[in-house]
This record gives sequence, C-alpha cells and structure tokens, in this order.
Amino acid sequence: MINSIIRYTVIFVILLFLQVLLFNNIQFSGFINPYVYVMLILLLPVEIPAWLLLIICFFSGLTVDLFNGTPGIHTTATVFSGFIRPYILRLISPRDGYEAGAVPSMVIYGFRWFLVYSGVMILAHHFVLFYMEVFRFTEFFATLLRVILSTIFSIVFILLAEYYRRGR
Amino acid sequence: MRNLLNFLARYNNLIIFLLLEGFAIYLAVQGNDYHNIRLAKGMRLMTLGVEKNIAKTRTYLNLYSVNSKVAQENIDLRNRIEKMNRSADHLFISYTDSANNQQYTYTSAEVINNSTNRQKNFFTINKGKKQGIDVDMAVISPDGVAGIIVSSSENFSVGMSLLNIDFHLSARIKSNGYFGSVTWDGRDYRFAYLNEIPLHVLINKGDTVLTTGYSSIFPKGVLVGIIDSYEKAGGDFYRVKILLTTDFRKINYVSVAGNLRRLEQSELEKPYK
Repeated sequence: MINSIIRYTVIFVILLFLQVLLFNNIQFSGFINPYVYVMLILLLPVEIPAWLLLIICFFSGLTVDLFNGTPGIHTTATVFSGFIRPYILRLISPRDGYEAGAVPSMVIYGFRWFLVYSGVMILAHHFVLFYMEVFRFTEFFATLLRVILSTIFSIVFILLAEYYRRGR
Repeated sequence: MRNLLNFLARYNNLIIFLLLEGFAIYLAVQGNDYHNIRLAKGMRLMTLGVEKNIAKTRTYLNLYSVNSKVAQENIDLRNRIEKMNRSADHLFISYTDSANNQQYTYTSAEVINNSTNRQKNFFTINKGKKQGIDVDMAVISPDGVAGIIVSSSENFSVGMSLLNIDFHLSARIKSNGYFGSVTWDGRDYRFAYLNEIPLHVLINKGDTVLTTGYSSIFPKGVLVGIIDSYEKAGGDFYRVKILLTTDFRKINYVSVAGNLRRLEQSELEKPYK
C-alpha cells in the first residue's frame, strides 16, 4: 500500500515535470498541444475505489492548473476522465475479467487493448479540456481538429513511455 | 430517511463527481475572466519560484540575440541624441520643460513567464506596483506590440498577450490611414487579423500596420505587423492577415508604457459612451 503510494507519487512528479518543462513548450502550427500527465490516471489500479480515483484526479488536475496558471480547466477534464474510467474499463474488460490487484498495462493485456483504452480516455480528457479552454462553440470544428490532433500526439507519447516501462 | 441513505449510498460516486466537477467549473469561470484573474495571480505566486529558475535559464540561452538587439538599439539612440543636440544648437534653445509635454512613461521589464500555445495566453513580468506598473498599461516589445497589463501585485504583473482570443486592439494601415481592430484567432502565434477594413480600400501586401492610440492605452504609431494577405469576410469588409513583428516565442525584455493623461481622456469621454 505505502509502496504503491510512493510509486504513483514518483510517476506523477516525473509526468508533471515533463509536462511543464517539455510538452507545454511544444507547438506545431497552434493545433497540437500534447498533455501526457493523463498517463497517471491511466495507470492507477483497476480496483481502486471510484471516490478515491475522483479525488486523485481532482488534485492532479489542480496541480497541473497551478503550473499552467489556468484555474479549473485541467481539473474539469481530469475529474471527468476519472468519472468515466470505471465504465470504460467495464466495457472493454477481457473475457475472464480483471485479476485481483491488476494494473492496466500493455504487458498484461496487450497492445490492442491498451491502445483502445488509452485512446478513449485521452480523447475524452482532451475533448473536455479544449472546449473548456475556449469556452465557446464558435469555430466548433477548429477546436475539434485541435482535440483530435493533440489526442493522437498524446497517445503516441504515452505508448512510447509504456514501451519504455515494458523494456525495463 | 432509510430511502435517502440508500439513495446516497447508491449514487455516492456520481455525487462526488458532480461536486468536484462543479467546483472545477466554478474555478474555471471565476479565474479566467478578463478582469477577474485575482485567483490566477494568487496561484502564480505559489509556482513563481520554479518559473523564475526556468526564466533565468531561458534568459541565459537567449543572450546572443538579446545582445545584438541591444547594440542596435544603442546605435539608434545615439543617432537620436546626435540629432537633438544639433537642432538645439541651431535654434538657440537652452531650456525645455520636458515634463510638461510628456504623455507616456516608459518602464523596462523582463518577461519571466510566457505561453503561446493556449487560446488565452498571458505572460508575467518582473515589475509591479512598487515600480509604477498598473492595470491597463501597454506592454511593448522591441519589435512591436506585446500586450496589456491586466493585474499587478507588489513586484510582479500579469499581462494579457496579443495572442489571446479576448484581446482587441485598434490599429491602422500606415499607407492609407484606414483603421480597424486587431484580434487573434487562436491558431498560429505568428499571425493576427485586422478586421473591419472597408471593401473600397486598396490594400497592398507588405504594408505596415500601426496602433492608432484611440484606446488611450497604446501610444500612437507602435508597430503591430506587416500585411500578409487579405480576404473578403462576410458583409462589406476585408479581413486582413497580419504577420506580427513581435516573435512571441522569444519575447524577453519589454517596455511598459503608461499614459499619464488616460484618466483625463476617459473621464471626458465617459458621458458619450
């Protein structure tokens, strides 16, 4: 228990530093802003109680907001993705269910499962995030394009990180 | 009572979700308002330590281009002093009251935090109320317009960047004098748009666009950008695409212009608005 708390704290600090120092400065043509800190929410254990998941999501989003100077925007997106996570996990569960104490990872459930899982989660997160950021529905499709392109890039980075974890 | 407890137990996750999400949206609506970014300012103070170190490193890496720019500026200023001295000699002027005609005060400042990849970009500068910076002052980079101060604390100020979809600026085309309002569409950090130019106006690519000074925030004649292309937008107006002369990706040292007569002007204009 203590062990996993320390592990997830370390993961979150690393992701936060990557996000603030590296990914916040990435900009191709104003359409692509990857947000990789969502990986924390992806990697939490399957059987985590829903209320704890929501609270972890809330505080991780708030921390990212502090560093970005955008109160509430990331928090809204992370809390939303934390809310839908149990439903998505149930929808795409393997035939014989999840094992006790399982963690969603590519090693255990394979590449295709992880791609679908992270794809849906990140798309939901980015959708809420970018529409909260502009806070208007004019130029709806320009924002949608930003959502989709940024989602693709975030997925690529997260899959790379997952491969790296698997390699170790 | 029992039913109520059953209900709460059954939907407790939904209730926690709605509570947290409601609070987050409250934060977003409260904190991102144009004039109401006090919360953002408070939060900024907490993360300022980290940001300061990042800014320090960036400044060091940019020294080369900053140096050459400073050298160029020195030469310009020296030329100007030379001209002034000469005209004073010719006209036998021995005394001028410089404060009497002064309309703008300039303060130099360093950008210590900046973003260009959001829809609503803000930057932080290292001077505040103690150094005479206040809300509604204009921020000008060595290459052109940069933004407007929206909030200031003792030693720091937050400016709304031109790269903000809420930003509006009155500007005119230098060659023919027609004016419109400059806005940013949230896409490319190098381009902004000049709206409301009538269709009969002849527009040339490469013309310069300057501020008008109508808003009493920006001084007259500050460079905004160069016309890149134009298109018909809806009704009877052109939408002109401007290549911004300020490079917001490497903006570093700025000067902040305060209008000493802004209050007088806005007081006078108030009944007619």
